[in-house]
Amino acid sequence: MSFQIACPNCGVRPVWEFHYGGPVTSSAPPNPTERQWGAYLFDKPNICGEQHEWWVHRSACKTWFTAKRDTRTNTVLSTAMHGEG
Amino acid sequence: MSASGHGVEFTFDGQTIRGVEGQSVTGALHAAGQHVLSRSFKYHRPRGLLCGSGRCPNCLCTVDGTPNVRICTTDVQPGMQVKSQNRFPSLGFDVLGIFDWFHKMMPVGFYYKKFYKPRWMWPFWEKFIRRIAGLGEINQARGGEGHYEKLNLFTDVAVIGGGLAGLKAALEAAEAGASVVVIDDQKALGGHLRHDPTLKPTDFDALIAKVTSHANIEVYTSATAIGAYEENYIAVLQGKRLIRIRAAQAVFTGGAWERPLVFTRNDLPGVMLASAAQRLIHLDHVKISGPIVIVTDNAQGYRTAAQIVAAKGSIASLIDLRDAPPAADTDLVRSLSIPVQAGRTIVAAEGSKHVTGATVALKNGGERRTISCRWIVQAVGFTPAISLLYQSGCSFVHDDRLGHVTITKFAKDVHAAGAITGAHDPSRAAWEGRRAGLAAAIAARPGDESLNAKRASLESSAPPATAPGAAPAAAALTPETALHFVSPGGEKKKFVCYCEDVTQKDVFDAIDEGYSNIETLKRYSTISMGPCQGKMCQASSVALCALHNRQSIEATGVPTSRPPETPTPLGALAGRTPHFVLARRTPMHGWHERAGAKFMDAGNWKRPERYTSPEEEYKAVREAAGLIDVSTLGKLELRGRDVVPFLEQMYPNKYADLKEGRTRYGIVCDGGGIILDDGTISRLGPDRYFLTTTTGNADAIDSWFRWNLASKPEWDVTLANVSSNYAAMNLAGPKSREILRGLTTADISPSALPYLAVGQFDIVGVPAVVFRIGFVGELGYEIHVPAEHGLYVWEKIYQAGQSFGLKPFGVEAQRRLRLDKKHILVSIDTDALSNPLEADLGWIVKFDKSDFIGKRTLQQCQARGPQNRLVGFKMADDSNPPEASLVLHEGRLAGRVTSCRFSPAAGTHVGLAWVPVELGKDGTSFNITIDGIPHEAIVQDAPFYDPKGEKLRS
Ligand code: FES
Ligand code: FES
Ligand SMILES: [Zn+2]
Repeated sequence: MSFQIACPNCGVRPVWEFHYGGPVTSSAPPNPTERQWGAYLFDKPNICGEQHEWWVHRSACKTWFTAKRDTRTNTVLSTAMHGEG
Repeated sequence: MSASGHGVEFTFDGQTIRGVEGQSVTGALHAAGQHVLSRSFKYHRPRGLLCGSGRCPNCLCTVDGTPNVRICTTDVQPGMQVKSQNRFPSLGFDVLGIFDWFHKMMPVGFYYKKFYKPRWMWPFWEKFIRRIAGLGEINQARGGEGHYEKLNLFTDVAVIGGGLAGLKAALEAAEAGASVVVIDDQKALGGHLRHDPTLKPTDFDALIAKVTSHANIEVYTSATAIGAYEENYIAVLQGKRLIRIRAAQAVFTGGAWERPLVFTRNDLPGVMLASAAQRLIHLDHVKISGPIVIVTDNAQGYRTAAQIVAAKGSIASLIDLRDAPPAADTDLVRSLSIPVQAGRTIVAAEGSKHVTGATVALKNGGERRTISCRWIVQAVGFTPAISLLYQSGCSFVHDDRLGHVTITKFAKDVHAAGAITGAHDPSRAAWEGRRAGLAAAIAARPGDESLNAKRASLESSAPPATAPGAAPAAAALTPETALHFVSPGGEKKKFVCYCEDVTQKDVFDAIDEGYSNIETLKRYSTISMGPCQGKMCQASSVALCALHNRQSIEATGVPTSRPPETPTPLGALAGRTPHFVLARRTPMHGWHERAGAKFMDAGNWKRPERYTSPEEEYKAVREAAGLIDVSTLGKLELRGRDVVPFLEQMYPNKYADLKEGRTRYGIVCDGGGIILDDGTISRLGPDRYFLTTTTGNADAIDSWFRWNLASKPEWDVTLANVSSNYAAMNLAGPKSREILRGLTTADISPSALPYLAVGQFDIVGVPAVVFRIGFVGELGYEIHVPAEHGLYVWEKIYQAGQSFGLKPFGVEAQRRLRLDKKHILVSIDTDALSNPLEADLGWIVKFDKSDFIGKRTLQQCQARGPQNRLVGFKMADDSNPPEASLVLHEGRLAGRVTSCRFSPAAGTHVGLAWVPVELGKDGTSFNITIDGIPHEAIVQDAPFYDPKGEKLRS
C-alpha cells in the first residue's frame, strides 16, 4: 500500500503516516435486540467500491477526519473533518 | 578483436583469472575459456552464459561473500573473489549431477509428492533438501554484508529504463521544466543500443550526454526497479541501497527481454541469446571462437550474424524459422557468405558439458541433420518488460501479430514508450519516448500553453507503429512467433524454466494432472518462480500451456506479476532508514544509569527494571520509602464546558460529582465493554481535568479520546497531550510524608492532603501537582513537575530521603508490591476479552448512569452472568508458576495465570489468574499446571497485604 491521503490539517502525505479507523457507521440503533447490538458492534461494512471511512494522522497532527476511498483502487476521492464533508 | 585497458586479476573458484578494467566477470571468464558458470537448481546441470544482461539464473555466484550476485552485470575488480554456487565438490565435477540421471524419479511436483509421507522421515529429508537445494550461502557473520540504506526521492517524472525511448522521454520532460529521475538496471545508459551498433542512431552518444548533464535530470544506473505501487511509488534496488521514488508521473521504458527457444538440451553451456553474443563482442570486447549456429525469426538474428562476422567470428549456419525471410533481413548478410536455411528450426543441442553441435530440422521435425558447432545463438523474439506496468494497474491483451502482449489501458499517471509497448523500431521508439515525456511533463506541471502546441505538432509527425511486414527490418516479428518458439519432438530435456529446472514434459505432465490454468500450473510446477521471476520462461510457459490446452495465448493469460520484480535481499528492505524506532528516555534517565539501573523496554521507553535487587527495593518501600520514575505515564489535560459529559461518556464510573482537588481511579472500555486502559482522573480546576493513562496505552488512549471527540464536533472539549511536558515520580512508603514535609512549605498533613486528594504546590521551589494515590499499597505521592525540573526534584527527594532509608525502585519491585494489593496491570492481567465485571472491577461500573461507552454490552453480560473471574490466588506449596501457566479443571483447560510473584507479606507465591466463576469463590482451590504437574492454588478475595487499606490511607 503506497497511496496518499490529504490530511485536512497537513496536506498530502503517504498512507503509512495514518491509521485506519474503520468505516463511518450510523449511530447505535435505539433499543436494539442482542443480535442487532452485536451486529452494530462487530459487523462492519466492507464495501467494494467507494467507502466513507475514518482515518487519523497518527504520525503527525493526530487529527481524526473522514475520507471517501475507492477500496478497489485505493484512490482517496476526498477528505474532510467529520460533519463537514 | 581483443580488449584493451588495464589488466585486472581476480579469482574464480580459487583460480586466478585476468580480465580487463570495465569488462564484466562473465566476459573475462569467457575469454579465459571458463564457460560453465553454475550448476542448475534441481538437477545440478552445468549452465553457462545465457542472457548476459542480468535476466536469467545462469551466472549467479558468490562475490566477496555476498551470495547470488549476477556476474554478467558485475565488472571485474582487482582481488575480487568469485565462487560458483550449487556445486559439490566442484563446478567441473558435481556429484549431485547424478540427479540428472534420475530425472524420472524427480517428476513435476516432486517435493509435494515424495516427501510428505512418512511423516517421521521429514526432518531427515528437510536437512538433506536444504543442503542440496539452496541457492548460495548466506554470510552468517554478524553484520556480514555491511549496511544497507534507504534513499527517498520525490520527482515530477520518473523514467524507468534508460534506453532510447527513456532518454528521449527524460529529455523532453526536463526541457518542459519537469524534474526527472532516470533509473536503469545496467551500468550505463543506452539500453540495447549500447551493444547493437547497427541500430544505434548517429547522435545517440550526444543524446546520452545531454541527459546526464541536464540540470533537471538525476540518473541512477545499476539500479533495478523492483516494484511499482499505488500512486507511482516505485521501489528501486541499487546495490545495498533501496531507493523509494514518489513520482507525480511515471514513464515506463524498460524495453523487452530477448527470449529463448525451447529445444532439447537448450540449457547446455554454449547456448546463448543473441543479445548476450552482442554484449560479449561490443561491451566486453572478447572473441567468440569456434563455429556458431544462429537460430532466428527476425532481423535481430541477421544483425547479430553480421556483427559476429565483423568481429572475426565464424557462422556455420543461420537457421530462419520463417519459410521466406524478407529481403531486408537477408540483405544484411548477403555479402558475408553465410549459409541461410529457411523454414527450419533447431531441435536439439548436442554435447554434454558444452555444445558440440546443433541438430536442425524442418519445423514439423523432418529432415534432421546435425551441424557441428561450439555455439548456438538464438534470436527468436522479445518479451516486453511489462511487470511493473502490470503492477501499476495497466491492462494488456496478447497481440498475435507481434507475438507478445500490448497495453490496452493505462493506469492513471502512467505512461510507456518503446519496445515495452511493442515499438521495436528505433525511430518509433524515440518518437513514443518524446510523446510520453511531454505528456508526463504537462500532466505534472499543467498550465504551460506552449507545451500543448508542441504536443499537437509532435502527434502529427508520428512514424508508423510497428506492424509486421510494414515495419523496418529491425522490428519485424512474424505472426507465428506466438507458438513457434517451441521446437518439435522430444520433451524431456527441453528446458522451459532454467531457474527451477522445469522441462516441457514437466509442464505437460502438470497440465495432464489437472493444473491446466496458468496460475495453478505456475504454483505446482514452480515455473517462473525462480530468481529471474519468469523473464526467461514466462513467454514459453504460456505458449506451452496454450499448446497443450489447445487454446489461444490470449485465453491462456499471463501469471500475475507481483513485487519484487527481482530477488531482493531482506537487508535492503529492512535496512537503516531515516525513521528509526526512537528509544524514549525520561528526564531522569542519566541518574538511573549512574545509579547502576538495569533497563527494560516498555514500548519505546527505557525504564529501570531494578537498581540493586527487587527484594531490597521491595523492603525499602514497605518499611521506609521508595522512589520510582513514572514519567512514562500518558498525561492528558482536558478543558472546556463539556468535559464532564465527555468523561461520563468515556468512563463507566461517575465524574459529575468529582470535586476540585480530588482524583479518582477509572477504567476505559470500548463499545464491547472490553477494558482498554486504566488510570486516574483528577480535577485541577473548575473546568480543568488531568488524566493519566498506562505507559503502554498512552498513544492508543489519546487516539481513542480524539476519535470520540471528532465524532461529536459540537462538544466544547479541548484535549492536550502533555505526556512529555511533565516528569513524574512516585514517592511511596511509610516515611514518605516525613521526607516530603522537609521539601515544601505546603500543608501536607493527612487532613489537608488526604488519600485521593490532589495538591498543587511548590516542592523544592518547583511547581508540582501531587496526587495522593498508592499503586504499591503504601502512603504515597505521585509528583508531576515540569519535565525540565524532573531531575532536580528527583535528586532533592533522593537526598532528603537518605536519612530515612529511601531507595529508588524499579519496575520489578513495583510489580511485586502491586500484586500484594491485587492491583491489575491492564494488558498483562487483561486482554481483548476482559471486561470489568469479570476482571473483579464490577464496583466501578455504574449502571445507573444515563449512558457510557460499553454500557449496553456490560448490561447484557451482567444479565447473563459473568463466565470467568480474575482472581487473586496464593500457592499452597512453595512452587512458582510462570506467567501463562494453565489452570486445569477436571482434565480440561479452564484458565490461566497472568501474574505471579513471591509475596513476603503472604509468605508464599501470590498472583492473579483467570478462572471459571465456579472456581473463583474466596477460599476455593484450583490446580495450576507447572511442567505437567498440578499444584494447588487458593482463591483469596482480600488483598495479600494491608487488606483494609489502612496504610494507603494513612
Ligand atoms: S547470464 Fe548473467 S543473468 Fe543471465
Ligand atoms: S527461467 Fe527463471 S523463473 Fe523460469
Ligand atoms: Zn495531519
